Amino acid sequence: MKNLTANLATLAAHFKIILTYRGLMLIQAVRLLLLPMVLASAWLSIEKTAENPYSDADYLLYYLMVPVILNLTDSRLVFRFPLSVRDGSLSRELLKPYPPLAGYVLESVANNLIQLLYLLPFTLIMGFLIRDRLVLGHLTLPLLGCAAAAVLLGGLLRMLVSGSISLTGFWLEDVTTLNLILNGGIWALFGGMIIPVATFPEHIRQIAELLPYRYMLSFPIEILTGRLNSGQIAQGLVTTIIWAGCFALIARQVWKRGLKVYSAYGG
Amino acid sequence: MPSNETAIITRQLSRVFSVRLKSEGLAASVRNFFSPVYKNVEAVVSLDMSINRGEIIGFLGPNGAGKTTTLKMLSGLLVPSAGSIEVLGFDPFNRDHDFLRSISLVMGQKQNLWWDLPPVETFEIHRRIYGLTDEQYKTRIDELIDMLEITDCLQTQTRKLSLGQRMRCELAVSLLHQPAILFLDEPTIGLDILMQKKIRNFLLDYHRRFKPTILLTSHYMDDVAALAQRVIVINHGSKVFDGGLRELTDRMRPEKIMTVVINNGEFPCKMREGCRLIHHEGQLYRFLVSRELVGELAACLYTTGQIADLSIEDAPLEEVIGQLFAAGDAPPKPSA
Repeated sequence: MKNLTANLATLAAHFKIILTYRGLMLIQAVRLLLLPMVLASAWLSIEKTAENPYSDADYLLYYLMVPVILNLTDSRLVFRFPLSVRDGSLSRELLKPYPPLAGYVLESVANNLIQLLYLLPFTLIMGFLIRDRLVLGHLTLPLLGCAAAAVLLGGLLRMLVSGSISLTGFWLEDVTTLNLILNGGIWALFGGMIIPVATFPEHIRQIAELLPYRYMLSFPIEILTGRLNSGQIAQGLVTTIIWAGCFALIARQVWKRGLKVYSAYGG
Repeated sequence: MPSNETAIITRQLSRVFSVRLKSEGLAASVRNFFSPVYKNVEAVVSLDMSINRGEIIGFLGPNGAGKTTTLKMLSGLLVPSAGSIEVLGFDPFNRDHDFLRSISLVMGQKQNLWWDLPPVETFEIHRRIYGLTDEQYKTRIDELIDMLEITDCLQTQTRKLSLGQRMRCELAVSLLHQPAILFLDEPTIGLDILMQKKIRNFLLDYHRRFKPTILLTSHYMDDVAALAQRVIVINHGSKVFDGGLRELTDRMRPEKIMTVVINNGEFPCKMREGCRLIHHEGQLYRFLVSRELVGELAACLYTTGQIADLSIEDAPLEEVIGQLFAAGDAPPKPSA
């Protein structure tokens, strides 16, 4: 209960800070909206082959949902945490009777929730404008519930992956390159940002389904497109939980070891 | 076995940092890339100390002596390389929440306040984290606002506060949960003389009211002289002195400084062994006088009726400490 009120106060503080930086919000908006729109246009303009299971309606729904899901499962941990190790401000968190990483996680959550202020209206308006080309008849309450669960778990997984990478900041002076490789390029490809995972060639799709990246972006949207049966949805949710568990263990071990090498710079 | 009165106890506390060496030049950089060379730096060496509850300790030493490293180990930020620490019966590095609720670390160059929010917002978050009741919060914050005179800065974004205002707000947030132990690392650094004095007065007042144990590092000897009941001096990571300020002065500078301004003519008293002239300008004379001769010389001067002014003081603390630091190669044996 004590942590809950502390969490809410911290979350509220981050909301207030984010709202003071309107320029940063604008940059975030461009980042979240531009690439999916470009990709949607590209995929709509190419000729569909027999092997491609996605129709124009699928692509439209997919890339309409990408900014929202991308945002909801986003994590800023990797940008903030290594910096606080380098400048010693992590000490501030370590001295409080409060989980030291909670502030960083809540900053990410606050950021993701704030972006919904324009993302949701944008998605609704765009959806309304292209309503004739969208197929939504298959959306049922249980399906939406599964998608919501997949988003939550996907967000948790991405947070844990980002967290594990961030925690290498105890040893590495710059984790951005590592993040770019593991949580950027590979994520964009296997997560379904550039190409929906369902449209991958069979053997690559199988690899993508084993890796954690699909579950951070593509999987919740695949549920929404109605192209997954209940068995595939359950399998996907379980895979997400297993990966989240693995990264939680990794993060815990790295944290424990990292604290021992943390030298709290200065003095 | 520490008594209930003991707040902090360290035994053979040591901390070694492994530092990567980088030689000059491109060839050395390439060599270093394939075969890095490390050097172990002993920041703290076998430090034994015991501090009772409610004491104010001046923790002194030159730059790089290991003061901040020690404070970080005592507050649980750094794990010791060897030895043990008990702070209020806790091992700090376990970061037990009861332990964290009992301490506060204020570092003059680091901040606890949220940079983008006004201090009052940080107070509110702090209150939630430390689980203060409405009544506790209101009583304590009102008291701190009053003592630190920070009413005017509460609603201003922290980044826009002056250094003095920020430091006072830092103290307020650090003391909101009424820690039993307060680690102060250079709390007056960069502040003007007036603000330094305000902070010192506040700390004295706060200590009088709530009796926390305070471990203070400062390069301003006025802070130490005004606040510390006892000083622990470390150099090269080892303790070189532990005792009262007077004891330190007596040991390092057993002489008093006597400044005399005479009305006219020659100096009226005969100098003897144990009395050395260190400055003379016109009618002003300054002597280093051994303590046992001070009374005798003063009496002699008064009987001549030639004195316009006379003052007797200890050597400035800066000089005493400086002398102790300079003697680092051959430190005197710790007294406690």
